[in-house]
Amino acid sequence: MQPRESAARVSVLVRHNALLMLREPGPLLSRLILPLVFITLLRPLYLAAQGRTAGTEQAVVGTLVTFSLLALSISGSAILTERIAHTWDRLRGTPLHPVELLAGKAVPVFAALLAQQLLIVGFGVSVLGLHVPHPFLLLSILLCWSGTLLGLGALIGVLVRSMGELSAAYDVGGMLLSSVGGALVPLSVLPAWVSDVAPASPGYWATRGLHAALAGDTHTVAAACGTLLGTALICGALASVRLRGSSGRLVAL
Amino acid sequence: MLVADGLVKCYGRRPALDGFDLSVAPGEIVGLIGHNGAGKTTFVEIVTGLVRPDAGRLRVGTHDALRAGRAARRLLGVAPQELALYGGVSVRENLRLYAGLAGLRGRRRDTEIADVLQELHLTSLTDRPVGILSGGQRRRVQAATAMVGSPPLLLLDEPTAGADPETRAALLTAVKARAEAGAAVVYTTHYLPELVDLDATLALARGGRVIARGTQEELTRHLPGELRVAFAEPDEPELRLSTTDPGADLAALLASGRAPSSVDIRRPSLDDLYRSLETTAQQNTPTEPEPHDAAA
Repeated sequence: MQPRESAARVSVLVRHNALLMLREPGPLLSRLILPLVFITLLRPLYLAAQGRTAGTEQAVVGTLVTFSLLALSISGSAILTERIAHTWDRLRGTPLHPVELLAGKAVPVFAALLAQQLLIVGFGVSVLGLHVPHPFLLLSILLCWSGTLLGLGALIGVLVRSMGELSAAYDVGGMLLSSVGGALVPLSVLPAWVSDVAPASPGYWATRGLHAALAGDTHTVAAACGTLLGTALICGALASVRLRGSSGRLVAL
Repeated sequence: MLVADGLVKCYGRRPALDGFDLSVAPGEIVGLIGHNGAGKTTFVEIVTGLVRPDAGRLRVGTHDALRAGRAARRLLGVAPQELALYGGVSVRENLRLYAGLAGLRGRRRDTEIADVLQELHLTSLTDRPVGILSGGQRRRVQAATAMVGSPPLLLLDEPTAGADPETRAALLTAVKARAEAGAAVVYTTHYLPELVDLDATLALARGGRVIARGTQEELTRHLPGELRVAFAEPDEPELRLSTTDPGADLAALLASGRAPSSVDIRRPSLDDLYRSLETTAQQNTPTEPEPHDAAA
């Protein structure tokens, strides 16, 4: 694979996929705006329960994890739409290497997921007074979490067979993973069995990592990043296997 | 430009391709015809790298397409049977993607896109979203995505399916022009008259293999045509004769002293050839299972 030619092909795909996303901005805009509305309306509840500093942090972290899980739809639909439209197979008939194809698809989605999270954090800092003493720790966990979402979304995107299934998967799955992970409600006030199963949810590691990043706990951030990256790699690998050959096709919906 | 040698592909126990041989030279248009399930689409999918054969060899240009698939696909322009377009963006953006992936940049890319749009009568639709175009217009856009970059090998899998006469005419003209410019073309279709218009050589597929290959003249020469003779006498019925030598039969008729009022000689058509080969194959292989075509 010639690096220059490869970079040129990936840049063509990135441009094209970014254009596709921007031509139908509704889903992206709703994923950007809704969390800000949600956080504003629910923050008083968190403040009353946990006090100003901890309440603001829980409101921002909980909203970020919950709505970023709901944004799985962005990465899932980016792949499912191509499968439904047969354009995925069409692209595989070009000189593109599978890695180039996935990179061209992933970069705009990754950027959208990261933008959503940065917007929520930025809103928390500028409007709600969230204190971020260790921005690079926070950025590292956000990058890892975005990677996990990308992998999870890709896996859902290749497993489901219709937009309806995709919608159900990210609605139910997203809420489940964020709730079980202690994003919306702290695990300390949930039943004990939820705490026992919580580490199985990527949302738990994102929530834990974000709290740790705000507290400057490097060790916990590193553990969370490792777990999230591992999850991302496993999901991405499973999605790649599923897409290989004819198994990733939609013969009939 | 394209040489397929003994390709075999099975889905479970069902053979989709069972020793499929085909070669296409530069500048040649090969009409690949056969019933659904004959293996046409599986063959196209193997050439495009979507499906890997169980056995056989495939060369595209100088490349072993089964070992160096990406290098082979650089030479390839594909219009799949299913429409595969981005409906939310314009015709230009669809073409820009495939032109970019073909390695075209800047002014050369824009010129190439403009040329192919003009060739397929799409210039007035350049900035319209593909999603609002008619079926025939989309077919032309799909063909344009295959032709942009002027690949030396074109695989067009039923490019005129469901297309109106205008679309069909534009596509056939464009395909002929590409072949005249040196491109090798594999053209699958169920509309056999198109192959006459394209002056294509023929490959008839059945049961996952090519059962007949040659020019239209070569393949239809042995088939009987029809000689129709009407007579001046009102009570004499029209004569219809199935014959491989209508000239000799007509001469014999005239020599017998009968007086025709009109003579009509119908030469064997591709439809006749197709029916004849199908009938022969069915008689020879009465217990053969119906092959499975992955995309059928």
